[in-house]
Amino acid sequence: MNRKKIDSATIISAVIVLALYVAVFVAEQFIPATSMLFTVLKKGATYALVAVSMNLLNGFTGIFSLGQAGFMLIGAYVYGIFTIPVLSRMDVYQYYNGGLVQFTLPVFIAMILSGLAAALFAFLIGLPVLRLKSDYLAIATLGFAEIIRALFQWDKLGPITNGSNMLRLFPTFNDFNIRGADGQVVVYLSTLVPLLISGVCIGVIILLINSTFGRALRAIKDDEIAAEAMGIRLASHKRLAFCISSFFAGVGGAMLAMYQTTVQAKSFTTAMTYEILLIVVIGGIGSVTGSCISSFLFVACSEWWLRFLDQKQMIGTFEVPLLRNGFRLVVFSIIIMVVVLFFRQGIMGTKELPDLIRGLRGKRAKGGADK
Amino acid sequence: MSENVLHIEHLTMRFGGVVAVNDLSMDINKGEIVALIGPNGAGKTTAFNMVTGVYTPTEGKVTLLGKDITGKRPDEITKLGIARTFQNIRLFSSMTVFENVLTARHLRRTSNFLTATFRLNLAEERKMRAETEALLREVGLYELKDEMATSLPYGKQRLLEIARALSTNPSLLLLDEPAAGMNPQETEELGAFIKQIKEKFDLTVFLIEHHMNLVMGISDRIYVIDFGKQIAEGTPAEVQDNPAVIAAYLGVEEESDLPSEEPTEARGAEKGSGLPLEDPRASASAAPPEARGPQKAETRGAEKEVDQ
Repeated sequence: MNRKKIDSATIISAVIVLALYVAVFVAEQFIPATSMLFTVLKKGATYALVAVSMNLLNGFTGIFSLGQAGFMLIGAYVYGIFTIPVLSRMDVYQYYNGGLVQFTLPVFIAMILSGLAAALFAFLIGLPVLRLKSDYLAIATLGFAEIIRALFQWDKLGPITNGSNMLRLFPTFNDFNIRGADGQVVVYLSTLVPLLISGVCIGVIILLINSTFGRALRAIKDDEIAAEAMGIRLASHKRLAFCISSFFAGVGGAMLAMYQTTVQAKSFTTAMTYEILLIVVIGGIGSVTGSCISSFLFVACSEWWLRFLDQKQMIGTFEVPLLRNGFRLVVFSIIIMVVVLFFRQGIMGTKELPDLIRGLRGKRAKGGADK
Repeated sequence: MSENVLHIEHLTMRFGGVVAVNDLSMDINKGEIVALIGPNGAGKTTAFNMVTGVYTPTEGKVTLLGKDITGKRPDEITKLGIARTFQNIRLFSSMTVFENVLTARHLRRTSNFLTATFRLNLAEERKMRAETEALLREVGLYELKDEMATSLPYGKQRLLEIARALSTNPSLLLLDEPAAGMNPQETEELGAFIKQIKEKFDLTVFLIEHHMNLVMGISDRIYVIDFGKQIAEGTPAEVQDNPAVIAAYLGVEEESDLPSEEPTEARGAEKGSGLPLEDPRASASAAPPEARGPQKAETRGAEKEVDQ
């Protein structure tokens, strides 16, 4: 009786998520792999993971960190460095004599290593930085991300990082497809697997949030003084949240590397962190569901749905004014401003999918949005 | 004499040139309810904050159950057995009543973040939840357990703060103005409640309070401080009749028939310690009248009408 019961709303949520996975799997077999849908799903899965990891810090622990791009960079590089096939290393590290690393790790081990490397950096940077509060912490982590970006382009580290040249030829999402003997794809998994990786990682974060440690982190966010007075050690718990968040940002970085098929340090800019932050804010600070939904919406808008704004559109003989290259970003910015001004709670506020189902049932709703 | 729980020795706290607490020494024994009273700004909360580790005392020593806890972090001190409530309620606002109390059991965990995340600590988690439910029943908040903590009425929020403190398994409970903002009836109930939990949880209670009815009703002993310095100690009856206390609370009239030695002495000491305040009356009249009201009414009984 004292056990937290797994209620029906949670089960329904799990079923919904499972159904979405099945739908993706089926769609992948029948819709051409070049469809924008899959691009959006792959990038969305990557961003969802990073957004949730950022939400763990900003939304659940109350630590305002802007180092996400830096940790993603570390993850992406570690993944790239350890998975490039030995035979291809001469091509990739052409200016560094094939590079220092002359072995290859399995993809999933390399991904875990990506996370661990990011967490290690987080631990080290956390020692001085986590003593800071709110905006000072944000500035310090932002600075850290910039330093990392510069460091990985440093010529002297070239034998490992390939300097300012890109890493490539490592396994990508497409390598998850199962091919027959003739090289033809038999089963398409290139979208499902990233979604699964992302889903498992987010699942772990949800488990953490709902554990006794998650409660302690929320207590810190609500009131540091009270949390400390209740015996919660602030330094160690903040460090824990920071390292775990960075771990998953690192894994997300590895996924981004797979999505992009190449890695170059200069693409991990502050703007990337802001994109993630935007996803978190639009989704609702403190809602994992919100971060997931908004990352797919965000990616879909920026990569797909709003693309038409960049091209000349004709309605009959009438040319729609204003539409030209770059206009998409204008519209995008306006949407963001509207969200921030009028929907500050974001899509979900602090609610999660099971809460939504409970709410719907409570109101005996006449069928609403199901996602 | 029974076992000593809290021993404070020559505790001093300076903020720059201001001496908030000056050479405070006290002893609290097991099972006692001890009150710390004094006019506004006397340094009561500062004393509390030194005991709980929020401030590190400039000088002096705090000992809990024979262990030196001076300068330890608040979370370490809570782990060793001191729990507290706050003058301005500090509940975890994003959590329900149940979660608030449950979170305070976190410090007694044996799991680490990995075992907790992957639910290898189910037995412990179940035990935590069972204990929390039992505690909520004990204090009468069980029916409200799924309400958001901040949606509770004020009195219940105070109660919840005490429940949350109890959830850390303390041996010494510090209550910082638990009756603040309560009406006389609620205050009376609170007094009975404090006595009740003291027995049930085998506690020692140390409280700061302005409601003199409550303080006189439940305390075994009372310490009185003014301008950071102890001016009296004793049973409620002794303290009530102490001229220095009356002077501190009500000020001294020029032609007062109080024995003039003690207040002058006390004030002299304050001047010596470099406090920027000259007259107790100055600080008294600066305090909000409603905060001082009950004290005035209470001490008035022992002294002729002195009004400011």
